[in-house]
Amino acid sequence: MSTEVNLKQGLRKLEYPICAKEALYKIYDLICSRITSIKNMDLALDLMAEFVFYEVDRRGHKRAQSLSPLQELQLVKILYEYFDTLTSESGRNTVFLSLFSGTTINSRLGVLTKFISMGIGIPSTKILSSASAWMQQLGNTSPNSCKFAEGLIQDYFHFYVSSTEKITALPEISLEFTANFLTAIAENYYNTSNKKTTTLPPSKFIFPPQKLLETVTLWISQNTSLCIAAQQKQAVLPPGAIAMEATTPIAGLLKWCILAPIYRQDSKEYTDLHLALLNSIMEIPKSTPPKAVCAQHLTSSINPILTFVNDLKNKQEKKFSEIINEDALQLSLDRFAQAIQVIASVNAMYGHTDDLYHQIKILPFNKLMNIIQNNYKNKVVVL
Amino acid sequence: MSQNLATVVRTAPQHDLMNELNFFLKGATKKETCNPIDLAKSSLILLKSLPPTKTAVFEYFCEVFDNAVKCYIQGIETEIKTGKLPPPSETDELIVSDIHTVLSSLIADNPVAWAPTISTWSLELLGEISSKYSGRAHFSTNLNETLQLWMACRSTRTLVDINTKCLSSLIYSDTEACISALLDTSIKHSPHFDWVVAHVGSCFPNTVITRVLSCGLKDFSQNKSYEQCCNSPKLKSVVGILGHLAGSHAEDIRKAVLDIYVWSLRETLEDTDLQRLQKKATVPYILQLVFLSPKLLSSLCKDIKSFLTIDAVCRLYYYVGDWYKYFGTPEALEEQVTTLILHCDIGGFEIINILLECILTDKIKGSNEVKNDIKEKAKDLLMQVLQEMEESIRHGSAVSLINSFPKELPELIKMLLRPESIVQKTAFQIVLFLGNINTATLVTVVQNLLKTSTNDSHLVLLLRILTSDLVDKTVYSEKGGHLSLALEQILNRNIQKFCTSNEENSDLSQMWNNLYKLLQWEKSGKVALLNSKIITRSLEANLPNLTSLLSNEVLHMHIIADILDSMEIPQPISSYNPPVGVILNLTQSTVNYFFACCKDEGTAMKLKGLMKANKILKRLCTYSKFAKVLALREFLERALFQSDNVLFGARKNDMNNEIEKMLLKQNKKINKTIPLTKHSTVFNGGIIGTGKRKSLCFDELPFNTIAENTSHLLNAIKSCCVLPEESKYNDISLDSMTLLSLLLVQFVSPDLMYNGLPWPDEDFSKVTMERDLFIRRMFSNTPLLWELLSFVAVYRPAICYCSVLIRALTATLIHQWKSMGEQSKDDDSENYKNLMETTIKVIDVMALGQLLPPPLSSIRDIIPVLKCYEIVAILKECIWCYMRDHIPSPALFGCDTNGVHWRDPINARPSEIYTNTLRIIMQRNVKMLGHMYAQMFINIPQHDS
Repeated sequence: MSTEVNLKQGLRKLEYPICAKEALYKIYDLICSRITSIKNMDLALDLMAEFVFYEVDRRGHKRAQSLSPLQELQLVKILYEYFDTLTSESGRNTVFLSLFSGTTINSRLGVLTKFISMGIGIPSTKILSSASAWMQQLGNTSPNSCKFAEGLIQDYFHFYVSSTEKITALPEISLEFTANFLTAIAENYYNTSNKKTTTLPPSKFIFPPQKLLETVTLWISQNTSLCIAAQQKQAVLPPGAIAMEATTPIAGLLKWCILAPIYRQDSKEYTDLHLALLNSIMEIPKSTPPKAVCAQHLTSSINPILTFVNDLKNKQEKKFSEIINEDALQLSLDRFAQAIQVIASVNAMYGHTDDLYHQIKILPFNKLMNIIQNNYKNKVVVL
Repeated sequence: MSQNLATVVRTAPQHDLMNELNFFLKGATKKETCNPIDLAKSSLILLKSLPPTKTAVFEYFCEVFDNAVKCYIQGIETEIKTGKLPPPSETDELIVSDIHTVLSSLIADNPVAWAPTISTWSLELLGEISSKYSGRAHFSTNLNETLQLWMACRSTRTLVDINTKCLSSLIYSDTEACISALLDTSIKHSPHFDWVVAHVGSCFPNTVITRVLSCGLKDFSQNKSYEQCCNSPKLKSVVGILGHLAGSHAEDIRKAVLDIYVWSLRETLEDTDLQRLQKKATVPYILQLVFLSPKLLSSLCKDIKSFLTIDAVCRLYYYVGDWYKYFGTPEALEEQVTTLILHCDIGGFEIINILLECILTDKIKGSNEVKNDIKEKAKDLLMQVLQEMEESIRHGSAVSLINSFPKELPELIKMLLRPESIVQKTAFQIVLFLGNINTATLVTVVQNLLKTSTNDSHLVLLLRILTSDLVDKTVYSEKGGHLSLALEQILNRNIQKFCTSNEENSDLSQMWNNLYKLLQWEKSGKVALLNSKIITRSLEANLPNLTSLLSNEVLHMHIIADILDSMEIPQPISSYNPPVGVILNLTQSTVNYFFACCKDEGTAMKLKGLMKANKILKRLCTYSKFAKVLALREFLERALFQSDNVLFGARKNDMNNEIEKMLLKQNKKINKTIPLTKHSTVFNGGIIGTGKRKSLCFDELPFNTIAENTSHLLNAIKSCCVLPEESKYNDISLDSMTLLSLLLVQFVSPDLMYNGLPWPDEDFSKVTMERDLFIRRMFSNTPLLWELLSFVAVYRPAICYCSVLIRALTATLIHQWKSMGEQSKDDDSENYKNLMETTIKVIDVMALGQLLPPPLSSIRDIIPVLKCYEIVAILKECIWCYMRDHIPSPALFGCDTNGVHWRDPINARPSEIYTNTLRIIMQRNVKMLGHMYAQMFINIPQHDS
């Protein structure tokens, strides 16, 4: 008890950004020591709230004023220096995960985004791999991960479109982070169920910015193992933590390529990206059970295609034969079929595969798709 | 720029950026003092290459700008105190300019990302700075001064410029974020921030206006309750901004508001829920806006009918239910609309018209319920507006709505004449309101109504306007009230027109009819509104004009005569004493009217007119002697000498008006045509006199007409001469007859001399022969004179004064009979007949006037059988001598108890000297004249006593 009071009193003598730095060391001591207790854990959380993030005052009340941008920048710099110099990966991840745990992340997402943005701007492999672990543990397609990814995109693809060197070099700094980041990005676009699209003009947010598309294509075509990188290397987690399986960006990015033609997004990058993705899939090492692509994720492309067909039928009053021969539709279906075919060939699909094959039957006719269906039927019959 | 940035990145390895960051943080948080220029450089490097530092750098910029502004303000304050302006800090200037360059290039490179951010930041900073220093230096509330002061400051100018760059870089894509920031800041920092709004607004009027409106609408449509609407700071800020711009961009604002209005009316299937909500909120939003800003209201009202049509009303009907929530209750909405209408200082007329159209139209589509709903609401609203207007007028503080009506007066007058009673009633009330403010308006209205009313209901309206308690009747009291003034104006204009162009542009017949009808209503005593005799009073006030018009207005003379007749001037029991001018005018006009009637071919109108003229004259002449003199004089002069005399059978004897040609000229002319020998002395002697008399041809009127006209004229003259009070035996005043008689002499006799009553010796007629002949010619050319003479003769003893005329005629007759010589009467020549006829006429007149007592009075019956010399003898020895010895004077006549003058034929029997000649001649011709002889000389009546 007394140590706790002393600790806080000691820290309170320091001015704000400096006390944050001190607090971080204390927190490390508290949660990375051999014997950790609930009490220590709680104390660490208190220190974070009061001294690091400046959220509460000494009595535990919420502060009226949040950090000013300058103070925030100071905090970000302190966090950067701290994590960049911490050698133990396990310790780093432990502190990182408790600083930005699932319960507190909502209020700290801004700082986190800036922090990681700094980690990209002034490249730091340590920080990025911790961030990767964080994403993975929270779920790399979880809303928070998506929001976080969106923040980074704002920084590097919205405001700073002309300085692409750093972001292009991201896989070189941390492959896992890039993979997880990609999964989250893929989730952010071409996603009609995403709540954001209802409040904001659809055209702007449903499609990835050109720069982002180019960069993603570049990343994947240069490194075929990028997509499964997060699954390949498991992060060192604090003792007792349950490692979460990373979702690969493959399904999400395939969806981009499949839906792009019907949304009239005919940028050349989609073709390249599709090819790069197929190549990446080919490179997926065999694993039992398969874990690279989830069948349900692929299924999510079916509804938008059907909506598109219905729109053609109702609004433009086209005949069914005209719709079938629509180039955009056929291209989309081709890509879809190719993807399924390739994934099936390397046996990387998991989940309700039957359901997928069942659902693709309701899609308009496509030769390749037809073949795939028949193959599958035969296989099942053979089995 | 992009290359610049790239090089910076490339040349700034990891640790360099970290160092830069450290340096910046130390400097910016003031842990260490450092060169501000270096600090700024460092901040710019960070901004360009390290995304997460963006917000912090902007915060630091805020401080930089704030410092610079502080210096500037302090400088000004020093200047105010000491009169000396310290030089601006060079460092500050340099830093601000650096920042400006970097930000500008960021905006130029990637406007979509940077412009909204930078714009928001700059606006917020400007807001804060404006508020912070609002009390300092000499910032006043005057917008222009403030604008000038701030624009003189380098930092604020830079910020404004950056903001302008942001807006202009986005102008074709999406300015919403910027404008929304403008609104938000304006809410927070008004009024100190107004100058920025004004500046931005004047740079991008269209964008700012449309954006401000749509941002406002977006916010407004989200309101859930009435309280929220009222207190919405965003709405107030919208109004504030539009208010600033209204001065120079009223038209743009109007267009923008109309655009969103039109947009709101167009519903499509593609609308999202949000858009639908906004569309429904648009009209309440506009109402709220104009409610808060009178300027906006008046600019919107300018052409209200172009967008507020029946169609629009029908469409809006279905929205109304959704509007209530923005106003609280339906009543509140109605009240606000009423208030707004009352505040329109233009377009009021259109608004009223739309309401009326809603009430009257059949064009409304939809069920009967909808129709009735709209009609009822419109009616309510109209009544409400009218009532409020009336109240405001009665309290002496007219609402602005009234100001929008004066220039629509012609339309309002048209509305007064519309058949629909609600239209009439509305226009009626508005006209009264206008009249209450400006009485001249009322006069105009009355004028128009008087001219154009076509049925009784219009006239009733006119009366109700005149007698309304809203009308201040004392205004034109010295002129006789509004109606009188209106009448005066109509008449004046009309008289002028008549004089200048001599043609009638406006048909006044309706006016005259209306006036007559009103007068009759008043006379009938049945119309309570007219108990104050308003019509008569107005007419009386205009009599001078009215009376002179009677003779000019050929087209309407009958109706004018009707009016004047109905007015019974001068009225025996009336306080009104017509001035002499009016009397004389009226007399003159009536005489003119009489002649006009005579010329008229219509029968009923003509007779009625003549009767009217007689009635008027009777009244006038019994009232005033001037009138009588004037009337008689006029009658005689016109009937005898002016062109009108043709009506009464006068022969036109135009003297040849040809200008006499000079003899010299004639000769010169002839010389040219007839070649004469060189020494010729033959000259043309010219024409003697006027040359050979041309046989004159007359286009005489038919005998009947002449007779009729003559009798009309005599009637008219009689009317002039009547006695004021009726008497049993005598209705004609003798004085008047005397006057007439004297007038005849005056007109007919060419000389002043020898006009006395006595007849001289017959020989003396040699002296007067020339004038006697002149008189004779007058008589023969103007048959009317005979009638007049006879007329005078009837009313004895007036004929005495015409003695000179009779004498002249007799003298010429004697002369003529003499020269007739012994041509027998069998010589049935025209000359003889005429002579005989004239002789008979003269003797007739003398007999009629009792100038010749019996038996001389019967001479007319015997002369046709006599010979010329016998006639001469009778004329000379009987008539002339009798007349010479018995001066024809009123003294000869006695006056009986009834006031009738006469000469007792028994007592006045002439002595034998005067009858012997006659007797002898008759005896000589007793074969033919036996029965006459007995009558004249034997069976002489005797007095019973």
